[in-house]
Amino acid sequence: MNHQNHPELAEAFNKDFERTTWHDETLWFVRQKRDKAVYPIPEFQDLRTLASEIKDHTLSNLDNYLIEFEQNAIKNGVKVHWAADAAEHNQIVMDIIKSSCKVEGRNTRMVKSKSMLTEECHLNAFLQKNNIDVVDTDLGERIIQFRDEPPSHIVMPAIHLKKEDVGETFHEHLGTTKGEKDPQILTEAARQHLREKFVAADVALTGVNFAIAETGSFVVCTNEGNADLGVNLAKVHIASMGIEKMIPKLHHLSVYTRLLARSATGQPITTYTSHFTKPAEGKEMHIVIVDNGRTQQLGRADFRNSLKCIRCGACMNTCPVYRRSGGHSYDFTVPGPIGAILSPNIDLHKYSSLPFASTLCGSCSDVCPVKIDIHVQLYKWRQIVGQANELPAAKKWGMKGLAKVLSMPKVYDLGGKLARGALRVLPHGLTHNQSMNPWAKARELPDAPKQSFKEWYEENRK
Amino acid sequence: MTSREKILNSIASNKPALTTLPNVPIFEGDGSIERFKTVLEGIGGRVIEVASKADCQAAIDKYYSDLKNVASDIVKANVAVNLDTTKEILEQVDLAVIQGEIGVAENGTIWVPEINMLNRALPFITQHLVLVLDKNNIVANMQQAYNKLENVGSYGVFIAGPSKTADIEQSLVIGAHGARSMMVLIY
Repeated sequence: MNHQNHPELAEAFNKDFERTTWHDETLWFVRQKRDKAVYPIPEFQDLRTLASEIKDHTLSNLDNYLIEFEQNAIKNGVKVHWAADAAEHNQIVMDIIKSSCKVEGRNTRMVKSKSMLTEECHLNAFLQKNNIDVVDTDLGERIIQFRDEPPSHIVMPAIHLKKEDVGETFHEHLGTTKGEKDPQILTEAARQHLREKFVAADVALTGVNFAIAETGSFVVCTNEGNADLGVNLAKVHIASMGIEKMIPKLHHLSVYTRLLARSATGQPITTYTSHFTKPAEGKEMHIVIVDNGRTQQLGRADFRNSLKCIRCGACMNTCPVYRRSGGHSYDFTVPGPIGAILSPNIDLHKYSSLPFASTLCGSCSDVCPVKIDIHVQLYKWRQIVGQANELPAAKKWGMKGLAKVLSMPKVYDLGGKLARGALRVLPHGLTHNQSMNPWAKARELPDAPKQSFKEWYEENRK
Repeated sequence: MTSREKILNSIASNKPALTTLPNVPIFEGDGSIERFKTVLEGIGGRVIEVASKADCQAAIDKYYSDLKNVASDIVKANVAVNLDTTKEILEQVDLAVIQGEIGVAENGTIWVPEINMLNRALPFITQHLVLVLDKNNIVANMQQAYNKLENVGSYGVFIAGPSKTADIEQSLVIGAHGARSMMVLIY
């Protein structure tokens, strides 16, 4: 099947007008909660600057910090693994399970808390092929796992679904009453179902929000408590982290913990901010450090600071394009503005439409807690997409034609005159023909003026 | 070449010129009990002031008389929990009463190190959680909290209110996987 680009997938999403409006309003509500949580902090802008500078510094010395982190983690009794790409990451996880979680006569059971990295690596499918039962324990992730869908948002993975959809899914998989859609009752059903899974698990996998070089510790943030419940009941804890999660010192957490939840959901802090340093007596802790394209992005001067991202999702909640096109329209693990600057690094051809999924309004950069210049990078990726000859034909030839016309004033004047005349006489059905003029899909053209500004100026300047 | 070497070499050749690491100031702010209380109650927690640590028992008797299985090293307990307690026993705990170390007024969070937890899973698997906190250990913000925290030990968690989720249509539900309610007794 041909890969569908962002405009095609967004168009499909927009077919359900009411749902699109609801999606837009729901995410805007989260953005407003973010503002309410941010404004009372007098030093919020100072914290953003600090967060940005700490990450800049860390990236400029990342190899040494990773080595320091590794040494300290090993001293703490943690096993450290390195994976160059997704396949190696998945194999490492599999090998850890094979050597540390031997079970007889049944599949090994894994509980997982949220990890965008394992989504990126398609770990679940790989493990399930190898007879590991994987249960996502974040409520939103469990919902989409039942539905066999990817997350549509990095913080709110099931934000594309309505409670009726969840009710239907739970009726099918958890036996809740048909038609039951009360979030309280559905959450309680998931709690009961997942408690059994937590208690039965052999191995627990988590992501990593921050890794601290100075202490070899890592921090995981959740609201549900699913990460802690999983790892503290299982014998083996595996934590998967991208190389960019590093921060130098423990006290730097004081900056990021004040920014993350306020930017993400408008909460003052996540319910649980868990610091893992040493495994419990008799248990194992593993860290898998993953590259998978990140060092390549580090080498792109214009785009490297996308690696400062702390995955709060604020840029998605504020983006007028994301809100009206849905996370699945990006068809990349991380959707929204940040995904649109990360994805071309992975596959420029496949994701060539994403840097154009933006109005370049700059709202994403304004809300970013680590001050990534997202909209500037979107603009710069567009140049690269153009140079790589990855623009759709209509856009490419349209731009070339326009560039020609704009460079020849006489042709431009004549063209304007013809267009003004044509707009007055041609039927609406032709001027607003949606295949010839996609701009007119949801818009009306203004009435054509009798003369151009240039003509008016010539007449009136005396 | 191992993947470790490959990654480290690639970083060494791709990283930008070294930039300076900024100093993080200890920001000042309101570290009052009132603010702590307002913020924590705003995120679903409950705050009760008691006269002394010894009065925690009376508060537990008053608010949690309906709960059967209690684990604690602070108040009367009938479930003994330690490092070796099995999952099956932990699952039965209705109420855990645990010492918290540092409270943060700006976000209502409380630092709980492993050493206070009796068992790493207890604060999460218990149906209801009570943290006990000395009012002199409330600070204004996270800079002050990490400044006060000498080290994070083997495992430690900042806990802010009960377990919650809004994953179904952004409707807030208290009691996702962890504690269904969370109370702080301040003395």
